Amino acid sequence: MEFIIAPLIISILTGILAAIISITDKIVNNYGEITISINNGKKEIKIDGGENLLTTLSSKEIYLPSACGGRGSCGACKCKVTSDVGEYLPTEIPYLTKEEMKENIRLGCQIKLKKDISIEIPDSLFNVKKYEAVVEKIVDVTHDIKEVLFNLGNEEINFTAGMYMQLCIPPYDKIKNETQRAYSISSKPSDKHHIELLIRLVPGGIATTWVHTYLKEGDKVKLIGPFGEFEATPTNSTMICVAGGSGMAPFKSMLYHMYENNINDREIWYFFGARTKKDLFYLEELAELQEKWPNFHFVPALSEPEGEEWKGESGLITDVLDRYLKTIINSGYKEGYLCGSPGMINACNNVMTANGIKLENIYYDKFA
Amino acid sequence: MKLSPKYEKAMANMQVGIISAQGFLGDEEINLVDIINRDENEFNKLGLKFDEVAKKLKYLLEKGQKGLGEPITVDERWLVQVYEAKGKMPCPFEDYMAQKSVVTLTDKNTNHKLMYTDLSIHLIEKHHFLEGKGSTFRLEPKILKKILY
Ligand code: FES
Ligand SMILES: [Zn+2]
Repeated sequence: MEFIIAPLIISILTGILAAIISITDKIVNNYGEITISINNGKKEIKIDGGENLLTTLSSKEIYLPSACGGRGSCGACKCKVTSDVGEYLPTEIPYLTKEEMKENIRLGCQIKLKKDISIEIPDSLFNVKKYEAVVEKIVDVTHDIKEVLFNLGNEEINFTAGMYMQLCIPPYDKIKNETQRAYSISSKPSDKHHIELLIRLVPGGIATTWVHTYLKEGDKVKLIGPFGEFEATPTNSTMICVAGGSGMAPFKSMLYHMYENNINDREIWYFFGARTKKDLFYLEELAELQEKWPNFHFVPALSEPEGEEWKGESGLITDVLDRYLKTIINSGYKEGYLCGSPGMINACNNVMTANGIKLENIYYDKFA
Repeated sequence: MKLSPKYEKAMANMQVGIISAQGFLGDEEINLVDIINRDENEFNKLGLKFDEVAKKLKYLLEKGQKGLGEPITVDERWLVQVYEAKGKMPCPFEDYMAQKSVVTLTDKNTNHKLMYTDLSIHLIEKHHFLEGKGSTFRLEPKILKKILY
């Protein structure tokens, strides 16, 4: 335990000290103009030093992923630094693997810019923009999931099905700072002027409480994106998709995108887990899609049907998945697609690998 | 009374916006040690033990995780839902890194509910701290007793 505690103590101390230092620093130190060189000089930014990398880049409209708004508690803002920026900080270490450290991956929100710096970021991040959107429609799809449609006005967005957006949560109530949270896009890529998200209420959660109790149609909000690498491979292998709750979002986007573009020659199995009927949604839409699309199979399953009339599958979604992989879908080349909590992903990985799907052929959202 | 450096520091870390956006102290006007003492007395009066309560909450968290994000019935009495997010959260006493999980617990017989986190279990077990009254994750001893026993 020692090895965690030691950096932890320093990490919290540094957090608090950092605030004081950064204020004094701004008054006392002047780092002058520095250059950020991105992807071997492909892009160069000249800017006053002193702030962290994440904030500095976003002031120049280059957005690294962030699911905590730069508090150092999500580990999403990873970025490869190819110049010397000093030792790893205790605040970075809990979020990085040994391999990432060998590669000089750092947390963007923890790197203070004091001198010229070179970084490498995926080209896809150049496509990320901040959108000023208007909430066009909010629909309760279950008792705890809202479908929120944002209108981007004249702005266009280009994304692949499976990507996510960061929603900016303004200060409200006792919450004093803006924060950000990541949500998978549920709308189709062909609708370039809208973004739809499915947001499930997490009790006590800052972002979801705001969405569920404060957000109204007509409100203006900021969205940053698109981010992420979760997408359907361009192969013909059978897709085994598993989700529950708001994990529906990327699959809704993928399925309608594939259907619309006649990518209908591969088998798709979509397992959706819920506890009772009241936790299920989009049943009719997906049943209708299944009618029109013979290779698409939708398998909703209830873990505790509780005396309701239910003709579908029953049991935990992992058990239902296991049954199908052993009987109905027991041949052919398969890929796994998952969207859910770390525990859900872990459990599905286990079932899939035990049934012959290789770990490297299982894809999921890494931010969830 | 002046707080020892350990409690002084923990209390500073518990303010709004330091470790969590909402903080840990709620609307309390007394200091951390007084909060803990008051709740220890309350626990005694109700015949509750901190390590036992922590153990029960941990048991329910672990059972709840089997629901993979959906609610699941545990021991035919409780409905448990565990929400997990990536990332970690430090204990304000700087001795533990908690997972970001939120648990909602409903007693199916009475419909009483409570809500706690991975960090709450540690705070109860190691520091006898139930969070301040008015805090989002405050655990009231009376409610703990009603729902867990
Ligand atoms: S933005 Fe969350 S850790 Fe850097
Ligand atoms: Zn602790």
